[in-house]
Amino acid sequence: MKSKAEFDDGGLRYFVLARRGTSNGSHATEGLRTLEEALIEVGQRAGATSENGEANSPIEIMCDRADTDIRLRGRPRYDFFVDAGASDAGGEGTELQPYQGFHSAVEGLVRRHREGRLPLDRGQHLRLSPRGVFAPSQLERRKKIRETIAKYVFMSMAIALVLPVIAILGYLVIKAWPVLTPAFLLENPQNRMTAGGIWAPLVGTFFLVAISLAAAAPVGVLAGVYLNEYARDNWLTRLINLAVVNLAGVPSIVHALFGVGAFVLFAGMGRSLLAASCTLGVMTLPVIITSTREALASVPMSFREACWNMGATRWQTIRTIVLPNSVSGILTGVILQVSRAAGETAPILFTGAVFYVPVADHGWEAFLPYGLGDRCMALSMHLFTLATQVRGVSEEIQYGTAVVLIGLVLAVNSVSIGIRSYLRSRKKW
Amino acid sequence: MVTESHVRFDDVQVSYGSKVALQDISVEIPRNRIFGIIGPANSGKTTFLKCINRTIDFVPAAKVRGEVSVDGKNVFRIRNVYNLRRRIGMVFPLPVGLPLSVYDNVAYAPRRAGLRDRTQLDELVEKCLRQAVLWDEVKDRLDQLGTKLSGGQQQRLTLARALSHRPEILCLDEFSIAIDPVTTMKIEDVLLELKNEMTIVLVTNLVQQAHRLADHTAFFNASRLVEVGETEQIFSDPKDKLTGAYVTGGFG
Repeated sequence: MKSKAEFDDGGLRYFVLARRGTSNGSHATEGLRTLEEALIEVGQRAGATSENGEANSPIEIMCDRADTDIRLRGRPRYDFFVDAGASDAGGEGTELQPYQGFHSAVEGLVRRHREGRLPLDRGQHLRLSPRGVFAPSQLERRKKIRETIAKYVFMSMAIALVLPVIAILGYLVIKAWPVLTPAFLLENPQNRMTAGGIWAPLVGTFFLVAISLAAAAPVGVLAGVYLNEYARDNWLTRLINLAVVNLAGVPSIVHALFGVGAFVLFAGMGRSLLAASCTLGVMTLPVIITSTREALASVPMSFREACWNMGATRWQTIRTIVLPNSVSGILTGVILQVSRAAGETAPILFTGAVFYVPVADHGWEAFLPYGLGDRCMALSMHLFTLATQVRGVSEEIQYGTAVVLIGLVLAVNSVSIGIRSYLRSRKKW
Repeated sequence: MVTESHVRFDDVQVSYGSKVALQDISVEIPRNRIFGIIGPANSGKTTFLKCINRTIDFVPAAKVRGEVSVDGKNVFRIRNVYNLRRRIGMVFPLPVGLPLSVYDNVAYAPRRAGLRDRTQLDELVEKCLRQAVLWDEVKDRLDQLGTKLSGGQQQRLTLARALSHRPEILCLDEFSIAIDPVTTMKIEDVLLELKNEMTIVLVTNLVQQAHRLADHTAFFNASRLVEVGETEQIFSDPKDKLTGAYVTGGFG
């Protein structure tokens, strides 16, 4: 095999470029005949520049014909690193183990060249980058770039999520601004709903939500406690779990039909506030059960075991340790169902909500305007009615109704967030 | 052995699914003595303890065969398992401070057992905390959360809790791993005193701790009971080669 030194004579020259893109470093424009000479030149040059304090720019050795325009093209064929400040011998030239000082870099590269492990063809170049002690390596730089990209991608998604909410709210409030007065909330709809306020549907929604939660929350929470704390993993538990999951996925209109069958007809409640509330309750039940179970499961098992080890019964453990530490999660789950119940139209459509029924809007009767057997109005359905079923309703009233509905939902949600953050700040472990 | 046996294992076998955790265990634990258990990791020591107060029930897929009796009654036949557990104090290696105040942590078990009188509770809490060598560190902050104590303090809190229901049997599983040597020695002195009131089963990785404290020592290896006997005999004249290697540090 021919030695590298002979091969170097094929009209190729080696140019030492002190800094990429500039020519002022390459005073040997005629080029050097062998790579070894070029490497030694690098060593001398590096010694000189380090005194000038320019040691931090990479040095490159370009291999090309003498008569062509000397220009760096593409990525370097080799990338070596040198710890410019170090004076020990050694190192391997990699990023993690750079050559210790320029002297050992030149030594190492010359040795490598003589072993034939440094072939450099025409148009290729070799880069020797000084590396500061705490300077980020290329890998670290890449990591940082990816980190930044990831951060901004996630951030933009989060912002994309918030923007529509703000846009919807702003649009609604601006459109509804003229009617948003206390009187709007406290008056019945008048004049075939083209005037007046939304008292009847507002109170109707309040009662629907309150009664449905009064029915669903105890059942849901207790069922969740049973499933998480008592139930063993057997076929019955699995069946119940399956039922809960499936119930959560049932469309609300199907709940409505179930409500008609079970509450309106079978239980003989007729179309009434009670039947509509029960239907809503059935709809919210699975989510209450699931969120209760999750809240209970977030209490570490070791607490329960510590109590059982002291001879506490399951109920004593639940009452003294598990429930006090999961009540925030349970409450949050229940409160979030308020907004769901308030917003649904389908389940109450056939079970108790009506087109129009005026109720007492002043005097003491206004506090209890509906009886359990009465039919009632509801905000969500009222909005649908105003928008599609009645002619001549001004836009402001429609938008005003929407603002009240969405405001109600937001208010309830913020209460739940408030409760959660208060209880979390008192978290005990 | 003249002393009456307090806990008796009769050909006990425990398996978790297909993995056998304890095999052919027959042993008698004498009353009012310290019974040391040594052995390498995964040799079934903790499972052994869990059989005594039946917390093995909480491990899904755990199957127990054979008979474990406390005071001559088979624990797996006992209806009121809570009563059994109240008579047994248990300290596991991972310290668990309940999310209650230090005071309530220690008063937890007595209250569950119906003790309501404040002065009696105060006395009991102080006594237990003193026995766990924790009193001096927490006496000024009894209303602080138990979960906020340091690891070693929480472990002593666990010990105080285990003592709070005045158990007849105290099971200690590596109670000293997070506790400094000086405090450990103090607790060991307390254990030697407590011996008069209760039977102590001490699982430990510190072979010397077993040597110092235990009246009888059992050596577990690979889910089997290799050897059991008077501590002096186990340490000076072990019958089994493995035991000898383990107690002298030449194991493996």
